[in-house]
Amino acid sequence: METTKAEIELKPAVSAFSAAHDEPAWLRDLRLKMLEQYPKLALPKFDKISYKKWPLTAATKPVVQESAASALADLSLDRANAKNVLVMLGQTVIKAKLDPELAAKGVIFTDIFTAVREHPELVKRYFMTTAVKADANRLTAFHAAFLNGGAFLYVPKNVVIKDAIQSYYIQDSTRDQDFVHHVLVVADENSEVTYSENYATVGDKPNLANVIAEVIGKANSHIHFSAVDQLAQNTTGYVSRQGRLAEDARVDWAVGAMNDGHAIVDFNTDLIGRGSHAEVKVVAVTTGEQLQGINTHVTNIGKHTIGHILQHGVILENSALIFNGVGHIVKGAQGSDAQQESRVLMLSTHARGDANPILLIDENDVTAGHAASVGRVDESQMYYLMSRGIDKKMAERLVIRGFLGNVLTEIPAKEVRQQLTATIERKLENGQKSE
Amino acid sequence: MSKLEVKNLHVAVMDEEDKGQPQQKEILKGVNLTINTGEIHAVMGPNGTGKSTLSQAIMGNPAYKVTEGDVLLDGKSLLKLPVDERARAGLFLAMQYPAEIAGITNVEFMRAAINARRPENDQIPVMDFMKLLDKNLALLDMSDDIVERYLNEGFSGGEKKRNEILQLMMIQPKFAILDEIDSGLDIDALKVVSKGVNALRGPEFGSLIITHYQRLLNYIIPDAVHIMMDGQIVESGGPDLAKKLEAEGYTGLRNDLGLDVKLTDEI
Repeated sequence: METTKAEIELKPAVSAFSAAHDEPAWLRDLRLKMLEQYPKLALPKFDKISYKKWPLTAATKPVVQESAASALADLSLDRANAKNVLVMLGQTVIKAKLDPELAAKGVIFTDIFTAVREHPELVKRYFMTTAVKADANRLTAFHAAFLNGGAFLYVPKNVVIKDAIQSYYIQDSTRDQDFVHHVLVVADENSEVTYSENYATVGDKPNLANVIAEVIGKANSHIHFSAVDQLAQNTTGYVSRQGRLAEDARVDWAVGAMNDGHAIVDFNTDLIGRGSHAEVKVVAVTTGEQLQGINTHVTNIGKHTIGHILQHGVILENSALIFNGVGHIVKGAQGSDAQQESRVLMLSTHARGDANPILLIDENDVTAGHAASVGRVDESQMYYLMSRGIDKKMAERLVIRGFLGNVLTEIPAKEVRQQLTATIERKLENGQKSE
Repeated sequence: MSKLEVKNLHVAVMDEEDKGQPQQKEILKGVNLTINTGEIHAVMGPNGTGKSTLSQAIMGNPAYKVTEGDVLLDGKSLLKLPVDERARAGLFLAMQYPAEIAGITNVEFMRAAINARRPENDQIPVMDFMKLLDKNLALLDMSDDIVERYLNEGFSGGEKKRNEILQLMMIQPKFAILDEIDSGLDIDALKVVSKGVNALRGPEFGSLIITHYQRLLNYIIPDAVHIMMDGQIVESGGPDLAKKLEAEGYTGLRNDLGLDVKLTDEI
């Protein structure tokens, strides 16, 4: 096959970018290889989510750029004073803090380029090799080629971290620049960690965001992973979170898909080890003209594995929301359990919604179930609330809050719940403005 | 003093039983009623006679269409106002079948209802709200945990009715319409509900109690009793009228009045 245009044009820039970060040869080589491959690879397919025309692979030339912290002034990073926190704006680390006691125990929490320089072997072992492979599809390959920010969290064996590890990743759209962000979380045997990440955007240039988080749970580890995605209206986003669990490991995903632009939010968890367990809780709100496609996939591979998906979403204005829930039990995963519930509430007659449950069961000795619905606000509920003097918008918000509350109450961490609730309120207020 | 007036009220609903073209069916055929604060009126009548329609039409349920007449609060027509504005103007309807809403706690709901009546910069302080709530819970013999439960979700019939009265006591409207608040209640629950309504009695409060049975009126003594049949008030009187009705039954009363009305419960 002939050399692609992307490769010719961008190869020197990618090499220079890699060199500027003093990257080891393996990473530079991976970048160049993926640069060559990505245009030829297929886009990942997500049922009922049509995004082929989205500008997700129109690369801008990678350049090392500093962003000024002053751009963050408008954002309330209310919890950025926590003990363990990483704040990044574009490629720039604004704040990095790790409790010295944790550092002494061998915990690593740093931006991805520092991690690559200081812990090359550890990063190399897991970076796009285990949870998701770099050449899995066009978007993952693009990601590897143009990576320009991210974080690495490593929790050593038997270390239990009580205080949450918090991160704020702010896309800098005050200029034209792709946001290609990688988060790698490795929880070693018998460890436990709570990690939360927050995505937002400053500036209003139309940019793409390609975010991949990999979570590797070694035997008997427990990862509480929460995320609030609030990419801006002019951002086209691909946000993928990939988990791979060993024996008796567990991951609890709690995610708010609150982006304002077109976005694909993709979860994929492979339950490899016997007895491993994934709980996926998603709330989503769509507004304006946007489409959010949420694709949640759990694969039961080991015996006695448990995969539960619970996702509720609300659609306002002219927007569209698609929930795919895929529970896949492969042959040999005896005694496994795959359950899912996807519900969509439509507030506008112009909105489009879909809740699409898919169960793929290749083993007999298992339990599985699904529930899915797309509906409108219950008029009798609205009448009841309004009969107490509550106005229509507030009544709608209460009904929505109640509807999403069914998922929120299932999220154990109070802080995460509160933050998600606040984000939902913001998005609903915006969404109701036009009504 | 406030005045709630129902004048020559005609109300129709869409008859959905008709498979063909939906037909408007007239339920209320000219109801007249005036209630002042400080008074409690009872509207009694057999099933299917339009009692609940009257309460829903006064409150502003969009499913009920006023075809003629008016509903006025202190001389101002309410007919153009949506239900939430009527509520803020001072009306309250304790519903026969309250909606269940998961995910919203009872306490959150009641605070929202109270605050909806107050300006944004003068919302009820949490302590004041809790004090009022505790007082009313005690009066209605309700346990604390009911306020943290989701609104009416999984409530028993009796719990729902008590919860309606709890909201009534928290909101303290000018006029409360109680739509068959006594149906499905045992005698103890009936006493508790009556205690709540009686506690609100006073010059600033008026109520319209809609009931099928005289029993409730042993506990809440009305100032006036109206008998409704076939979409109209056919007789009005004092508390004795309810007792007479109890003795004669609706059929007896109808025959006394010489009305040509078919009662749905008649075989």
